[in-house]
Amino acid sequence: MNIGILSKKKGKLIREIRKCLENNGHRVKIFTLNDLFVNEMLLNKDFYILKSKNLLYLYAGYFLEANMIPVIPNTNTSYVHKDRVESYFSMKNLGLLCPKIFMGTLKTLKSQLKESSFPLISKPIFGSGSKGVKVYNSFQDFNTPTENYLYLENFIKGTHYLAYFIENEICICEKRPLSNEHQATELIKSDKEIEKYLIKWKEKYNLLFGHLDLVRETKTNKLYVVDAGTFPEFSNWKCDTDPALKISDLILNKYHEVRK
Amino acid sequence: MIKIGLITDNYHLEKKSIQFLKYANTISDVSIYLEEDYMIDFSNYNFDEDIFFVKAKGDLVLNLVKLIEKETTIPVINSSRSISLAFNRFLNSIVLRKAGIQVPNFSLNPVGQSPPFNEYIIKNIIDKENYAFNPQIQKKEGYLRVVDIRAIDESSGNYPKYTHFYFQDFIKSKWEYKVYLIGDDIFYFKQLPVLINPDKMKSRIKIEKIPELTEIAYNATEAMGLKLSSMDFLKSKDGKFFLTDINSSPNFNYIKNGPKIIGDYLIKQAKI
Repeated sequence: MNIGILSKKKGKLIREIRKCLENNGHRVKIFTLNDLFVNEMLLNKDFYILKSKNLLYLYAGYFLEANMIPVIPNTNTSYVHKDRVESYFSMKNLGLLCPKIFMGTLKTLKSQLKESSFPLISKPIFGSGSKGVKVYNSFQDFNTPTENYLYLENFIKGTHYLAYFIENEICICEKRPLSNEHQATELIKSDKEIEKYLIKWKEKYNLLFGHLDLVRETKTNKLYVVDAGTFPEFSNWKCDTDPALKISDLILNKYHEVRK
Repeated sequence: MIKIGLITDNYHLEKKSIQFLKYANTISDVSIYLEEDYMIDFSNYNFDEDIFFVKAKGDLVLNLVKLIEKETTIPVINSSRSISLAFNRFLNSIVLRKAGIQVPNFSLNPVGQSPPFNEYIIKNIIDKENYAFNPQIQKKEGYLRVVDIRAIDESSGNYPKYTHFYFQDFIKSKWEYKVYLIGDDIFYFKQLPVLINPDKMKSRIKIEKIPELTEIAYNATEAMGLKLSSMDFLKSKDGKFFLTDINSSPNFNYIKNGPKIIGDYLIKQAKI
């Protein structure tokens, strides 16, 4: 088969997935931003793997699906994971606990937020991971003038977790607050509540793999979801299964299922 | 009395909504949610309006609309999905084409890479800001190439929003057809294309119903989920209408009694 991979970078995981697919006799092309032309030229592949959630890749995904070319993971699911407000509603509807969220200009936030809302954390509304986040401990921290609207979440103080799943296998690691996926983490034995959250999330979107970032609040012991991703790098995957090999198999099986 | 919530921003409030408010205040109780002054607390959704009317398309406005849609049963015109689709030229081209609407060929290419058609307009992907079409017209090797300066702005500067340009195949047309839709009512106009006369209102004239445009307008707004809209069409040499632009927040002051028609429509759509 001819397979396209929509990925901004040719990172380790993507290179390994390509290798696995090529070893199975498939022809694979990775579309970085420089060679991504979203028009009929894209329609010569059997299906695409949507690795990056950059807007242009989501556009490519929507274009392909409108033209009956399967995209795995599904484009709209990737969009919901990427848009923090959509993601918040989605988790809330599933009964998963999320931090309270606010949005406004610097001026309105300063005048309408309550002192009790702090600490808060600002995040890009369209994004994932720890890129572009900032913690606000009091009104004095609103000191950088900006014309833009700020998206804020209650910053939950507690133990932070990175929880991956690939099919039915789960890997839960404790991590430093606000660290990215690639920084060192420590594998924890198990946490039934985190596992329950992962299964609910996975089943809701029929996901083959993915991750959630969670925080267990020290004061209340409540578990909050603070981020979600459809296609992590799995750089902290600590189980025996080879992620690239497993993901490639799952994607191929999914493609055959979709085609049926 | 019916309660209407107007969700807007300073620009639309001052420049586009005065006539509407003047009329709406006589038939309803109007509350104003102003983007620049409003803080969304997503855990607070105790709205007592019977209907919301959205006259802006900023990020805060769209997320406030999402909150109302997700947490209440109050009707919102237009919906967050339809507004987002309308200002995203690339996504609405996909949705419209999938619905069988004729749109010009389009392509998203990395900046500096030519599209697969000879004559084109480079347009901004996100048409959200309150400033108008600003074309640079060139003729290269006998072919017409138009660049909207807003597209250049979108893909330049220290933090470019996009690394790609949206190309739209150029359709030569004597007239540009402007269709306004309010619920089931449609109003038809034509004017010289903006590339020929930038002052669009100078040449605009009201025209009789064109059944072909009626059908396209209903299908297009249904596909997008728009209840209020304006659409631009160009007619090719072989007589086909191409939908080149669709808007979720048009200026209804251009229609005779537009503000009244909108106000009455909102009252009819309000939650009972």
